[in-house]
Amino acid sequence: MAAITGSLTERIQGTIGRRFNWQYFLQDNITGSWLLTVWVIILALATMALTIRQMGTFPTETTLILVIWSIGILLAVAEGLHIRHSRVGRWLKTNLLSSVSNTLLTLFIMLVLYALAYSIWQWAVVNATFDENAVAPKDRNPDGATWGVIAGAWDLLMVGRFPREALWRVRTVVIFFILLGGLSLIVNKIGLWARSKLVRSIFTVFWLLSPVVVYILLAGVPAEGAFVSISSLIIGEIVVLGTFAFLWWQKVIKFSWLSLIGWTLFWPVAYIAWRAIGRSGLFPPINVSLWGGLMLTLIIATSVILLSFPMGMVLALGRRSEVRGIPWWIIWPVAIIATIWGLSTSTSEILAAPRNTFEKIIAFWPLLIIVFAYILQRTFQGNVIAATSAAVIEFVRGVPLITLLFMGIIMAPFFMPEGITLENIWAVILGYAFFSAAYMAELIRGGLQALPRGQFDAADAIGLNSLQKMRFIILPQALRIVIPGIVGQFIGSFKSSSLVAIVGLAELLGVVTLIVSNPAWLGLRQELFVFIGIIYFTGSFIMSWYSRRMETQLGVGQR
Amino acid sequence: MAQTAPPPQTELQAQQSVPFWRDTRILGIFAQIGFIILVIFILRILASNFAANTDRLGEAQFICRDGTFSYLCAYDFMSTEAGFDISDTILDYENTDPYWSAFYNGILNSLRVGLLAVVLTTFLGLFVGIVRLSSNWLVNKIALAYIELFRNTPLLLQLFFIYFTIILALPPIKEALQPLGLPIFLANRGLSIPSPQFTSSAAVWIAFLVMAVIQFQVVWILLGRQEEKTGRPSNRWGWGIIAFLLVAGIGWFVAGAVANTQGMLTLKANRIQELDDLERVIMRRADLNFLEDVDTLPAEEIAAAAFKLCVLRDSASETNLSRQLRAKGIPYTVRRFDRVDQVTEAYVAEECEAFAASKSVLAAERSTLENPNSHSIVNVREQPIVWSIPVLEGLNIAGGARLRPEFTALLIGLTLFYGASLAEIVRAGIQSVTKGQNEAARALGLNESQRLRLVVMPQALKVIIPPLIGVYLSLMKDTSLGIAIGFPDMYAVTFTTINQSGRALPGMILMMLVYLTISLVFSLILNWYNERSKMVER
Repeated sequence: MAAITGSLTERIQGTIGRRFNWQYFLQDNITGSWLLTVWVIILALATMALTIRQMGTFPTETTLILVIWSIGILLAVAEGLHIRHSRVGRWLKTNLLSSVSNTLLTLFIMLVLYALAYSIWQWAVVNATFDENAVAPKDRNPDGATWGVIAGAWDLLMVGRFPREALWRVRTVVIFFILLGGLSLIVNKIGLWARSKLVRSIFTVFWLLSPVVVYILLAGVPAEGAFVSISSLIIGEIVVLGTFAFLWWQKVIKFSWLSLIGWTLFWPVAYIAWRAIGRSGLFPPINVSLWGGLMLTLIIATSVILLSFPMGMVLALGRRSEVRGIPWWIIWPVAIIATIWGLSTSTSEILAAPRNTFEKIIAFWPLLIIVFAYILQRTFQGNVIAATSAAVIEFVRGVPLITLLFMGIIMAPFFMPEGITLENIWAVILGYAFFSAAYMAELIRGGLQALPRGQFDAADAIGLNSLQKMRFIILPQALRIVIPGIVGQFIGSFKSSSLVAIVGLAELLGVVTLIVSNPAWLGLRQELFVFIGIIYFTGSFIMSWYSRRMETQLGVGQR
Repeated sequence: MAQTAPPPQTELQAQQSVPFWRDTRILGIFAQIGFIILVIFILRILASNFAANTDRLGEAQFICRDGTFSYLCAYDFMSTEAGFDISDTILDYENTDPYWSAFYNGILNSLRVGLLAVVLTTFLGLFVGIVRLSSNWLVNKIALAYIELFRNTPLLLQLFFIYFTIILALPPIKEALQPLGLPIFLANRGLSIPSPQFTSSAAVWIAFLVMAVIQFQVVWILLGRQEEKTGRPSNRWGWGIIAFLLVAGIGWFVAGAVANTQGMLTLKANRIQELDDLERVIMRRADLNFLEDVDTLPAEEIAAAAFKLCVLRDSASETNLSRQLRAKGIPYTVRRFDRVDQVTEAYVAEECEAFAASKSVLAAERSTLENPNSHSIVNVREQPIVWSIPVLEGLNIAGGARLRPEFTALLIGLTLFYGASLAEIVRAGIQSVTKGQNEAARALGLNESQRLRLVVMPQALKVIIPPLIGVYLSLMKDTSLGIAIGFPDMYAVTFTTINQSGRALPGMILMMLVYLTISLVFSLILNWYNERSKMVER
């Protein structure tokens, strides 16, 4: 016996040899510093306590975990002492079991994860009911999820209170986009996009028309009114031809009889087609406040991005404007005169009546004119355009989003001309687009700043005017830099569109309140939130992944 | 080598002077003037629409107190009675207070949850960001899962989830959860935690604390000089802390002994001159020889013999006295009132035997009684800080601080969401430190925590701070989401104010001004800090 154990210890000692030193091992792993010792002791106690508790509830699984853990330790030790090399052992040693504290931590985490996974599995699968019709409170299992509510409320979740008999229009929109997107991808992959100008034009036209198509299908075209109104025809024609003339005069578009005919015919054809569609009654109008669910989320997110792009561009270009500012000898006298006038009229009028402290302070508002004049002069060198753009951007970024949405809804009736009412949803989209435009402006400004100044100078040197410079040189390069940021904004809009639930629109998150108010689905919030969370998570995750891929494809930062 | 003669002067001048209608400088000024005119024009249109619509829609917005119409009376309504309740306030607020008071309470609520969330988010973000780079694969992936989960779902969804499915799903107070046996109660009406209450002797103690801090500084500096002279490490952290604790400890006892402000009003006939006499009183009532036997009696006898105490609600005197009574094992019952005159009424009606409060209050009350000399004020010792421990009493929890479910849900939701964003920023900052720094630190023999603390974090902080400013600002603005779960922050209060009073435009403008001010102040402070710690480039 002694011979066997003796030879065993000799064999072990022989294998280990001088590769292992107890002192160094203890120092590195346990006794190196007070903190380390305390941490290892706490971990050991906590892990032991947890193991004992888990043994009580899941004996077999806990034993299995302990066995796996021990095997892992053996493999890692074998790797560490160079007794036996294995890929698994190496990976374990570097990543999971590199020190005593890490080993204990791994076991602790494995046990906690198992307990967590087990309870989630119990709730979501084992105790859950999946029947769409057995969702009433008496048919539910209190320990499990009632997934029937997802199937039952599917329509509400997807389209809100959209009229059920008109759902074919929503399906048409979905099919339209799948076809258009799919065909664009295919055409891109087979190289037809790069080669044929005709294909490019056709697909561009279809993509540009898609918002109109969506609007016609989802909101309908009203049928009343005269078939053709000559005044709108003429005014529209003047606007279109005027834009064409302006672009030709600025040498951004080449003149050709074909394009002239195209531009001239564009407005009458579109207008008459619109009226014809309305007259035919194919797409009767749908109350826009009935939109809801995932459809509304996507509409809000896309509209916001599309609208905020031009607004953001205007703000960014304004912020960067370098026109010569108004000189100080105009600003200061005007400011002082305005202040004195304000103090003498408005302040004295306010202070005439009894006021509380806050109102007394507000009464001195003319002094702000001096402050504004100082900032205008000092920071912006008197450039009113840059100052206004910066002020708008900072204002919009300094207030919470729901205040802007709320302001849109409350203020819209006050500022609209008589007789025009703005639906809540358009007011919300407008307010949100303002908010997004401020962030977009900062992104675009960053993109413009990232361009080498030589590009601007070279464009000036070869004689391009401002519009040509923007259209042909600056914007193509700047947009390539800015596109990942824009995709990030879109992902942010997709998630933040949930905030419109607070102002009463029933998009994906807001429709939950609607669903839960149905007595059959009372109190089933958990299941709905989990489902909606999965939708948001998948959407955002896929879009972020795609954006990262696009960044490498576009070669951002490398060219 | 004929040199071309320079063009004649007049031609050059003709080439150099640009006609004024093409001169960009003058065009620039015209553009600005045109811009100002355009802005004024748009404002005129909006103003005229506004005036026209005000007649139709919003005349009530600008009605003065005397019924006349004037734009200057926009904020007169703020002094009128609010008429709505706010569930969670720091200051006392009744629904008869003016709108100003409600608005002010809303601002305090927003700041309360915002600043606390900022502190917690910083800790959580730093922790998870550093952990995200851990060498333990499991820990690393768990941090990644947390970050991805919380960044890819909307904040509002997370708030709803936490509020409806976690906080409101907690048990009712009768069965409140008590994690690990600590005096912390989790129930669906709120989270009760022990809270410190300051008695009047706290002022003395704080003076001693200030002296203790000075003491710490003195020891620190002296030992630092010694370090420099001898070159050997002196354990100045340890000595400094010992000095601090010494002075603070002395201050604690001195404050308790010197302060003489807490007292108990009771009948002289009870013959209680100090707190120990109560033992005698209880023993006599319950007919016991030893006070410890009180536990052996049935509950009704204990209740009959118990000392009846009346106090003001949430007062430090109650916590102070009850702590001492508990320490002595004296059974007592407490009745709490909201106002001092209510307590005096109960005392006079002999519903309670003693009124515990500060001596000045007791002296004032005693002078209002019929026969002041038949009542005496017994001295009660005090500590500078007494801990109010929540205790389950029947259907309620007495003592401690109650954090409402809305406040807790908003705090937790904001912390988790912005902690994930901050973790990504911290990770990017740490990874921005070049690899050579890490290798050099290891080559010098620094261990992992020293490397992180002394080499990596100072450099990483310079990269972390600008996006950190954005995170803090977004956090402060997102406290407005409290309205979705019922927390009365400034947005919610303004919303109710607008609904109640009908004054939409003035209310909105005021609220946005306050948010702008908060954003501006935060932004200025953080930008100043950023300027201070910016990377000095050579």
